[in-house]
Amino acid sequence: MTGYYTQLIVNGIVAGSIYALFAVGLAMVYGVFKFINFSHGELITWGGYLALMFSSPPIALPLYLAVIPALLLTVGIGLAQDCFVFRPLRQSNPISILIASIGLSYLLRNGIRLFWGSDLQSFNLPLSTGIIFGDIYITRIQILMVLSALLFFSILYFLLTRTLLGKSLRAVSDNIELSSIMGINMRKVTWTIWILASVFAGSGGILLALDTSLDPMMGMNSLIKAFAAVLLGGAGNIWGALVGGLFIGITENLSVAFISPDYKDFISYGLIFILLLIKPRGFFGIAGGVR
Amino acid sequence: MKKFVFSTIAILFLISAGRVTAGDISVGSVTPLTGKLAVYGEGFQQAMLLAADEINAAGGIKGNSFKIVFEDNNSTSKGSVSAIRKLITIDKLPLIFGPASSSNFLAVCPIAEDNKIVLLAAESAAASISKCGSYVFRVFPSDLLQGVGVAELTKSLGYKEVVLTYVNNDWGVGLAEVFKTEFTAAGGKIIDELPHAEGKTDYRSEILRMKSQHPKAIVNLTYIKEGATILKQAYEMGLKVQWLMGSASKSAKLIDLAGKASEGVIGTYPTFSQETPQYKSFKAAWEKKYPGKKTPVFGEYNYDMVKLTALALESASSNSSDDIREALLKVSKGYIGTTGDKSFDENGDVNASYGQWTIKDGKISDYK
Amino acid sequence: MDYLYHILIIALIYSIFAQSLNLELGFTGLYNFGHIAFFGIGAYASALLSLSGVPIPVAALIAIGLAGIAGAFLALPTLRLSGDYFGIATLVFAEMVHLLFLNERDITRGPMGLPNIPRPDWIGTGVTSLPLLLAVVFFAAAVTFILLRIITNSPFGRSLKVIREDEFVAQALGKNTFLIKTKAIVTGSAFAGLAGVLWAHYITYISPSDFTLQETILVLLCIVLGGKGTHWGPVIGAFSIIFFAEFIRFIPIPSEYTRFVAPLQGMIYGFILVIMMLKRPQGLISESRGQRTTNA
Repeated sequence: MTGYYTQLIVNGIVAGSIYALFAVGLAMVYGVFKFINFSHGELITWGGYLALMFSSPPIALPLYLAVIPALLLTVGIGLAQDCFVFRPLRQSNPISILIASIGLSYLLRNGIRLFWGSDLQSFNLPLSTGIIFGDIYITRIQILMVLSALLFFSILYFLLTRTLLGKSLRAVSDNIELSSIMGINMRKVTWTIWILASVFAGSGGILLALDTSLDPMMGMNSLIKAFAAVLLGGAGNIWGALVGGLFIGITENLSVAFISPDYKDFISYGLIFILLLIKPRGFFGIAGGVR
Repeated sequence: MKKFVFSTIAILFLISAGRVTAGDISVGSVTPLTGKLAVYGEGFQQAMLLAADEINAAGGIKGNSFKIVFEDNNSTSKGSVSAIRKLITIDKLPLIFGPASSSNFLAVCPIAEDNKIVLLAAESAAASISKCGSYVFRVFPSDLLQGVGVAELTKSLGYKEVVLTYVNNDWGVGLAEVFKTEFTAAGGKIIDELPHAEGKTDYRSEILRMKSQHPKAIVNLTYIKEGATILKQAYEMGLKVQWLMGSASKSAKLIDLAGKASEGVIGTYPTFSQETPQYKSFKAAWEKKYPGKKTPVFGEYNYDMVKLTALALESASSNSSDDIREALLKVSKGYIGTTGDKSFDENGDVNASYGQWTIKDGKISDYK
Repeated sequence: MDYLYHILIIALIYSIFAQSLNLELGFTGLYNFGHIAFFGIGAYASALLSLSGVPIPVAALIAIGLAGIAGAFLALPTLRLSGDYFGIATLVFAEMVHLLFLNERDITRGPMGLPNIPRPDWIGTGVTSLPLLLAVVFFAAAVTFILLRIITNSPFGRSLKVIREDEFVAQALGKNTFLIKTKAIVTGSAFAGLAGVLWAHYITYISPSDFTLQETILVLLCIVLGGKGTHWGPVIGAFSIIFFAEFIRFIPIPSEYTRFVAPLQGMIYGFILVIMMLKRPQGLISESRGQRTTNA
């Protein structure tokens, strides 16, 4: 029976590392620009669909190559979001930005429907039984998901702590006006944030699509969990996003052992609710900023 | 603001005036073209259009061309109500094909009944639709029949204890209830029962819970996408059981998505022979109009529904809904479509025999 | 004509719903993303009570009261949270309420929904009931409009706006901001409950899928489009959005292309929203103009 719980926790870690990949972009955008980006979910979806497009006829690149143009285009969408919508709105009140991001999300999601239809799609990967460790089954893609999450977070950690760009990024998130007065290149920082957010979301989307299948709602469905992870970890805190994502993944998967799976989401939401009440500022109690 | 409202109303009526051209015989259809059911809606629409093309190619109805006015319902009950009200009062259509999904269909039922509009269903299975009223017909058999079918299949394969899982929506819950009653009444035992949420990408924990019961067979009443995901993930997790499924997952798409994990699945479906001339001509026509596309789930039912409607319109003495209703009852008697006998009973339901399907060598075939 | 009645009824119900959210979002500055929960509580409570034989007016009143109490239940713990956290907490609350509707099958019949919700005898169920229903809904919308106008123009309403502009100032002025915000949420939730009651008895069938985040976003759009923090804004927003959605049905398109229509419509819809925010974020009517008319 212990195998059962271990397997649930392993599943939770897999789900959680994907939530974390989605959450970190949200957290960075929130940390610096102080708004919740609803259209973040669409970067996830577009990443997945673009990889599908480049890996299937007529282009038919091998999957590992298809990922490159797919991520580049996802980054393009991310930068375009900022350039055409969020930058002009930077001085507006929060609710306008929020509504704009909702509109953008609607626009992009329906774009997917227009080009690929509402039907679900999948990368027809060869199917195989997972690798067995004792009682635990885990598939290659799941291992890849966890490893990618680890790799991405390590790169991010390195970038933020060891490079000048990372330091300016953190400075900007502490105080955006002061940083620009101090001569930090705001454009460069902004670009970095959107590139990172898009790459993380796009890669997460591709991994999720490899693991399951693609449909236009996949981004939206993951978004509430990612929001929750951000909130749990303390908005604007990327490590918080990782811990928050894993926490939500593990909790909701473990809960299935004790209650009806009907309430799987209820448990994770309920937990968010209770945690917010105990610690209104998230796990790490940090007022904001990218750390 | 008043100006705005009035101008909108004016535009509404201006456009609608030009809408129904003389010499057309039109019927309406509330179809999920957006929202969560859009996956199926496109297929329904294509099947209906195929039938309409054939009707027109054969000279239309009483010399007029036959037309279907499609309204999207956004897969919601609110959208369905808006769509049907528009079809009834603006297009003034006497006959409407109702929306997919029993919950959306139940929302429009009272409106059709109050306005005395003939309402047809091609894929809504809930047992309660039988009680909708005298203007409501469906060419698809009720859940009651299918629930019994799955229970019989399970028993005939010799499984006394099963785990039951179903998609948590109107269709899944309705079917599971009937199955449970039938199966336990016949002495079967349900070891564990768990619904799974619609539209998820990760069901591993649910599968794990099923696995922890060590069942020999799992009854999985679900849709294509959910079904494929569950089969795939169960395969990856080394769960080897006999899967028993319902009609909504009987689709080539399931094999596309789940690959060899779908091998050996057995299910029930309202059977109709694929050897009849009716089915063969449908299949040929489909492949001609939509080359390379597989026939959609319930496509045959949508096709039959339109064909039957055309017959009723042809023989109805006028274009009023009461006459059409009479004619529909009359022409349906003994009508054999691609999906078999479509004779309506007093509730507007059809009878069906349940066949068994299985997936073998990547193809859907009859289970014997 | 029927169809016009139908659109008007829907638009009026949405205008009540939008006005109730406007009290919280527009006047008090609370980002409530879970407002649909109260609409749903009102609808379910009234439907369940009247289905079990409680006279409809009594059921409706109880349902409105319950929605208000649920509002207090949400407000008391979450109001301590700051802006965005409050937003997420309310969003999560709405998802939880939705899951309860879906899974408490013994009470709500779960995904099967509640069919045959009764209407008062004097309204009836047939086509002839539509004008009467319209009158009732219009009356409810008018009452909502007038009451909310009185509330927001009162000293209490002015404290709401002070809280929106700067909560610390309000506290410095000696206001109990927590109590004031709680009152705003309870009032808003009760009116959302009223909209839900009307909805349930008009459509006569409800199911959990009617009460999702999608609807919250729709009503948010109504407010923002019309002009938040104004009296007419949400009403105009609700009418524009409902009429626009119905108007699209009348653009003649050959049926082979209908499958492209819906996504295109969605894209245009999203595009308009983004453009609105970029070019005219205050909405169709702006708050300052609304102010002037009320002062005149």
